[in-house]
Amino acid sequence: MKDRDGIRSRLASGLFILDGAAGTQLQARGMPSGACPELWCLENPEAVKAVHRDYLQAGADVVYTCTFGGNRFKLSEYGGANAFEVNRDLAILARQAVGDACLVAGDIGPTGRFIEPFGDIPFEEAVAAFKEQVRGLLEGGVDLFAIETMVDIQEARAALIAVRELTSAFTIVTMTFESSGRTLNGTDPLSALVTLQSLGADAVGCNCSTGPEEMIPLIRAMAPYARVPLVVKPNAGLPALVDGETVFPMSPDAFSGFGREFVSLGVNFLGGCCGTTPAHIRDLKEKTRGVPVKERGYAVSGTLSSSRKTVLLRQGGPLLIIGERINPTGKKDLQAELAQGRMALVKRFAQEQVRNGADLLDVNAGMPGIDEVGTLKEMVKVLSVSSDAPLCIDSPIPEAIEAALRIYPGRALINSISGEEGKLDKLLELASRYGAMFILLPLTGRKLPRKAHERQAIVEEVYERASRYGFTKDDIVVDALTMAVSADGSAALETLAATRWCAEVFGARTVLGLSNVSFGLPERKWINAAFLAMASAGGLTLAIANPMNEEFMHVKRASDVLLNRDPEARAYIAHVGKQQEGIVTQKGSSAQAVGQAATPLERVYGAVLDGSRGEIADLIEQALSGGVPCQKIIDEGMIPAIKEVGTRYEKKIYFLPQLIASAEAMKSGFEILEPLLKQEGGISARKGRVVLATVQGDIHDIGKNIVSLMLKNNGFDVIDLGKDVPHEDIVAAALRHKPHIIGLSALMTTTMVRMKEVVEEVRKRGITCPVLIGGAVVTKAFADTIGAHYARDGVEAVKIAQSLVEGARAIS
Amino acid sequence: MGTGPVFFRAIRIEMPVPAVYRRLGFRTASTCVTAAQKAGIDQVLDEAASLVELQGSALIIPVRGRQGEETILQTGDVLKSAKLAKMLDDAGEVLFMGATAGQRIMEEIARDSSSENLSRAVLLDAVASEMTDKALDWISEYMGAVLRRTGKILTSRRFSAGYGDLGLENQKIMYERLRMAELGVVLTDSFILVPEKSVTAIAGIRGNVRQGT
Repeated sequence: MKDRDGIRSRLASGLFILDGAAGTQLQARGMPSGACPELWCLENPEAVKAVHRDYLQAGADVVYTCTFGGNRFKLSEYGGANAFEVNRDLAILARQAVGDACLVAGDIGPTGRFIEPFGDIPFEEAVAAFKEQVRGLLEGGVDLFAIETMVDIQEARAALIAVRELTSAFTIVTMTFESSGRTLNGTDPLSALVTLQSLGADAVGCNCSTGPEEMIPLIRAMAPYARVPLVVKPNAGLPALVDGETVFPMSPDAFSGFGREFVSLGVNFLGGCCGTTPAHIRDLKEKTRGVPVKERGYAVSGTLSSSRKTVLLRQGGPLLIIGERINPTGKKDLQAELAQGRMALVKRFAQEQVRNGADLLDVNAGMPGIDEVGTLKEMVKVLSVSSDAPLCIDSPIPEAIEAALRIYPGRALINSISGEEGKLDKLLELASRYGAMFILLPLTGRKLPRKAHERQAIVEEVYERASRYGFTKDDIVVDALTMAVSADGSAALETLAATRWCAEVFGARTVLGLSNVSFGLPERKWINAAFLAMASAGGLTLAIANPMNEEFMHVKRASDVLLNRDPEARAYIAHVGKQQEGIVTQKGSSAQAVGQAATPLERVYGAVLDGSRGEIADLIEQALSGGVPCQKIIDEGMIPAIKEVGTRYEKKIYFLPQLIASAEAMKSGFEILEPLLKQEGGISARKGRVVLATVQGDIHDIGKNIVSLMLKNNGFDVIDLGKDVPHEDIVAAALRHKPHIIGLSALMTTTMVRMKEVVEEVRKRGITCPVLIGGAVVTKAFADTIGAHYARDGVEAVKIAQSLVEGARAIS
Repeated sequence: MGTGPVFFRAIRIEMPVPAVYRRLGFRTASTCVTAAQKAGIDQVLDEAASLVELQGSALIIPVRGRQGEETILQTGDVLKSAKLAKMLDDAGEVLFMGATAGQRIMEEIARDSSSENLSRAVLLDAVASEMTDKALDWISEYMGAVLRRTGKILTSRRFSAGYGDLGLENQKIMYERLRMAELGVVLTDSFILVPEKSVTAIAGIRGNVRQGT
């Protein structure tokens, strides 16, 4: 029963009860807090053997070796023992404790570090460290492996790859999910399942962090798509702090009460984690005794995953878009960036495409003069962090595909594998090893198959070969080949026929690079859109396309509606509704602000009130064309509006973005009107001049910039010296420009003291104008102590500046 | 904690939209936003999320001793603060944490400020501030979970240099121990972290784990 097949055949008819927490059991036997459990167990072998025996006697079918932290990273915190020897010796102790009465699982826990691309540890270093453990555990005679408490899917992958590259032993992988339903690193249960089961895990599930009740939704999420058995090892409830200690409050009776429910959901391995004891395991065993194992089917569906998202390739679902833009062909900017090892455009293209509806991202690094293997790997790493969309690895070079698949923390789609001998077996082996799906291209490297029936024959041949590596039709997507109709008038018909055959007869998902069909023709977008609609009706599952192409995406959404792939047209209505709302609201906003019967002047007022910077130029033009003088637009339209904005801001009817947007609209209006005013001989009266600066040592300037904008809008000339300004420069500017006010900003308690220095220096040099200060930590009390005025925000700054200037004029 | 800090190269968290709105002065009871304004703001928040590149590091250091308001660490560093000393009263170790929103969003904020797109700049700034704070929460939660398995717990409070009576000059200790230069963070002569959306914090480690009932 001990080997992989033996365990699998036992699973068909029965459950496996796993053991419970080890840490607290060892502490109860004298392990001091802060000790290295692995080393302490080796020094106290009878204690760890007693723990294993207790769990065996409680009914556990599997005990985990006490090697949770037995990797080199964790062991280095305690002086760096030999990981191989530690794991070997602890596995031997476990075997000595239980003999052949139950199975011994080699326990592999996290390193405490994050693995690239999410952390600093190189992926291969993590794999090597886990291999040290695996070798030791194998030498110590374990029957299977349990990779547990993983927060980082990449670390789980590294551990699983380490096991798989050394042994075919049965391997359980469980991840730790927070009460949010994701791991701390953002992986959801379904993505964890898809990634790990395709990579070769024999059982997948969850352990630690939460109690049994919180794990039920996690198992519900996994079960419909699990091709492998499911595992749960909950804590004894959620931890609570009692008298300065963390307590796991769930009793054995309450804990084991969830056992039957887990079995009914299809779980095959049940155990306990933090806070559980042999009593919990005993009760669990009793309560699940005789409960029939659920025969769990699973939804037939192709699945692709990133570290945070799974995309289901459902036949009959909406057409899925593979964004094609991350490809240097024809893109000089991207070529230049990749040649320099820069990835900013890669990230931007990813984000733009996803925002515009791409479900997956094709990533291609093919260009002359670069290391395609290394570049593709870097692109995959960057995209794994910056985008949630699963990836389509696009390269003709097997080494590049391998490097990308190995580092990718999800289940990828390979673009593509054809029937070309010489590469076929190599690529199928790679795809199988890393659990990837692949696009099957009906080419053999010989004659180009022009007819649908020729392509069908190649598809069947390649699939037959792929099935020898364990692939099913759920694991492939067939590309029926898109040829240009400009070269062959029947090309589109052959492609559509082959696509329909794949979908309806062969029973596989399909993909097309649609835009090839219009190559060589003018106004390609209409050909592409029509071809898209026809192919969708013929059963197309995925399209490789540019989601930034609006017409294409509109036709895609409309096709989904017409083919009943968008129930109640929800997605279509939501998208169209969003676009229309933007237009209507933009047009309607100034009318909303002032009522429906708006004069040109009232509309200008409304544009400032609403912060409609994009509209104000047109509205001012309309007002001017309607005979409204410049000065009147300012005095009766814009200034009252900005005053109203200030009032609303003070009453918290408006918040900061609205205040700024209105100020920017006002500024845009001024920029149009001021030159006209000068031409007319009118000059808008400037209220005063302000020298503005963030003090030395302080680099924060957004608040100062807001004040600057508000002051300019209210008729002040502002000389903005920027940030981190030495007081000598402030004084020099004051002497040169003779301002009515000096304005100072500081965000930190350590830099606001510089304001005092500036005030002192300014007075020493005989500059008598008032100093106005502000900033997050500045207070009126502080301002009073240094002889300055204080403004809480931009609105108050304008009021105080106006009163200071008017007061000075009154005196003079 | 081994020979150096743990680095987190890709801290990914949900954007705390309500916190961002609150930081910008939004008040549920009074502030009114039109649908168009909200759509515009949400679009910028979406863009901000793609610009923020949260990274961090964490390091556990044993406490060697205490003298009044000084906490002396195994590394020889001395943290002088009466309030911090009180918080660390029964802590056998301290956890240093650091996080940064990265340079990209700051460059975008500077670009928007200088091209007079200040409305976008203030939104990006608010997002960067809130997400950097949440990144510290994330690190705290992760380290808390790791420590819990070894029978330890983190203090619920944390201190930052430059607040209360913990002088800003302590930022240098945090910066160097957390090796924040490797996160692309620079420390100025006046102990300010650059990019400015970078933070450090100290928490205490103490306690024990036991089974209940």
